Amino acid sequence: MADFREGFVEADGFRIGYMEAGQGPALVHLHGAGGLRLSPAHDLLAQQFRIIAFEMPGFGASAENTRTQSMPELAATMGGAADKLGLDRYNLMGTSFGSKTALWLALQQPERVLGLVLESPAAIRPQGAATPPSSPEELARRLYAYPDRQPPAPAVNPAIRAQTQKLVARLRGPDRDRDLETQLPQLKAPTLVVFGTRDAMIPPEMGHFYKELIPNCHLVFVYDAGHAIGAERPEAFVEVVSDFLERHEAFVISRAETVIHP
Amino acid sequence: MKVSFFETGRYPVNSDTPREWPVPSAAYDPEAGAKAYRAMVERARFVQKLGFDWISLSEHHYSPRILTPSPPLSAAHIASQVDGIKIALLGPIVPASNPIRVAEELAMLDTMQPGRFVFGLLRGTTNEYLSYDLNPKEARERTDEGMELILKAWAEPQPFGWQGRYFQYRTVSIWPRPPQSPRPETYALGVSAEASEFAARHHLGLGVSYGSFDLMAQATGYYRERCAEYGWEPGPDDIIYRCNMILGETDEEADAALERRKSAQAPFPIAANLARALIDQDRRNVGGETRPANVGRVLPISFCGGPERVIKQLRQAREQIGVGVVDISLTDPGSGDTGAMMEKLELFGKKVLPHIREV
Repeated sequence: MADFREGFVEADGFRIGYMEAGQGPALVHLHGAGGLRLSPAHDLLAQQFRIIAFEMPGFGASAENTRTQSMPELAATMGGAADKLGLDRYNLMGTSFGSKTALWLALQQPERVLGLVLESPAAIRPQGAATPPSSPEELARRLYAYPDRQPPAPAVNPAIRAQTQKLVARLRGPDRDRDLETQLPQLKAPTLVVFGTRDAMIPPEMGHFYKELIPNCHLVFVYDAGHAIGAERPEAFVEVVSDFLERHEAFVISRAETVIHP
Repeated sequence: MKVSFFETGRYPVNSDTPREWPVPSAAYDPEAGAKAYRAMVERARFVQKLGFDWISLSEHHYSPRILTPSPPLSAAHIASQVDGIKIALLGPIVPASNPIRVAEELAMLDTMQPGRFVFGLLRGTTNEYLSYDLNPKEARERTDEGMELILKAWAEPQPFGWQGRYFQYRTVSIWPRPPQSPRPETYALGVSAEASEFAARHHLGLGVSYGSFDLMAQATGYYRERCAEYGWEPGPDDIIYRCNMILGETDEEADAALERRKSAQAPFPIAANLARALIDQDRRNVGGETRPANVGRVLPISFCGGPERVIKQLRQAREQIGVGVVDISLTDPGSGDTGAMMEKLELFGKKVLPHIREV
């Protein structure tokens, strides 16, 4: 297990928490609508990257965020937080809801983002997407292809959950967000979109839209993973993410050795 | 009910052919092989004239018993020379294949003659693990993943990568794509819970084979349950039953043939020790209930009788198993007795087939 240490940074008047581990190129992670929860993928990524997993303002243990009114605003705040940590250029990874934040941040600060990874992105959703999960069990079924194989989710204070849901509802934007989609063709960062083939939150069939809109975009399906790919198939997820962040477009060239007996 | 003829290549085995598997290819006669492939086309024309709906093909290796190691080649061979009759490829054996290649070849067929082909994807019989050095313990999972990748390759509109357990590709974007969207007519083949689960989840048909009505009903019952879980109900054409039939002019003649067959041996058996080792490593089930794998045993007869009794049995199969397409062999593959087979086919065509539509 990687040794994650907790830290805090001030940005836009928010006190923003983060978990950090590892050495190497910086990788900033922006979590999904459920807040920051370290997964086995974070551990594996920390073996190759200096990973900084932020807790965005209004999520988890942070104070209620009634100030941020839009996703571009949240992205600017997170860019400021990365700035405060002295991160000049970095890789950026967004999960689900956080993918949209990451997309806005990459559009706002193209010179800073070396490579962009979108894990189960929720920036483009089918029209009339499903209603929010009605119970923790239902949430687990949406998050995981195999909920029984996951450790129990930490209990969340209902008052905090209600605050977070309000924030998410305010920031997530429409299923098809024209403001964002019209800007995606200008995205400079090499982008990797990763979907689990058994994602029950956002259909993996949404993947091709990113490829169609983003100039340098690669789409990869992780077989037999649900929405929380990093929790369910961490080795498969991290292998493709780190290969992409290292080699960008050239990651399509196989380095697998097939010699059996030299 | 629809009826399909299981075409196996019918290489004429003679008394000198070694009775073992794999069969040494030194025993192969090129002229006999060429003749067997020509005869496939003749038989396809013959069964089409008789009124058969489909001709089906399979994938088997290293033996003259079924001389069709490549289903797409067999299918293209027949389709290019015989019009009309639908051709069912029941393989390819997915765990031993490159799924992208399978997706491409089947898409080519579906493009060359749209709607002409039916595709069945399967794990394969136990002995086939030896053909391409497939680890039996990995076969089930390779099958499930490979099938999913084939469906994805057919449906996905943009280039994509696949980060699997057994297959990894960074770039997939097949041309041609199958003209039928989201996919051609496709079945998962097998009686296992896993095959049913896959078929139900992806809204595919199910092909079951070589078992009693009770066992097959157990498999298709499980399949229906899983389909209901996924919110849909399969129709009659969604269930194929591949099986052996002994058809006589009379019940007595068929019963006598069945009696004679009781002492039959598999034509090219795998050595006993090897067969045992394979069975040890191959976990099989029928609708979730554990069953030993079949290695080297003679495949059972599902239908036996004169025309009237066989029609009744077909009715029973429809009611009990829910089968909508019966895929039959009227003589055992590997027997080489094509004359007798053609007679039986003719009898089936004249006396049974006209009544099958009512079933």
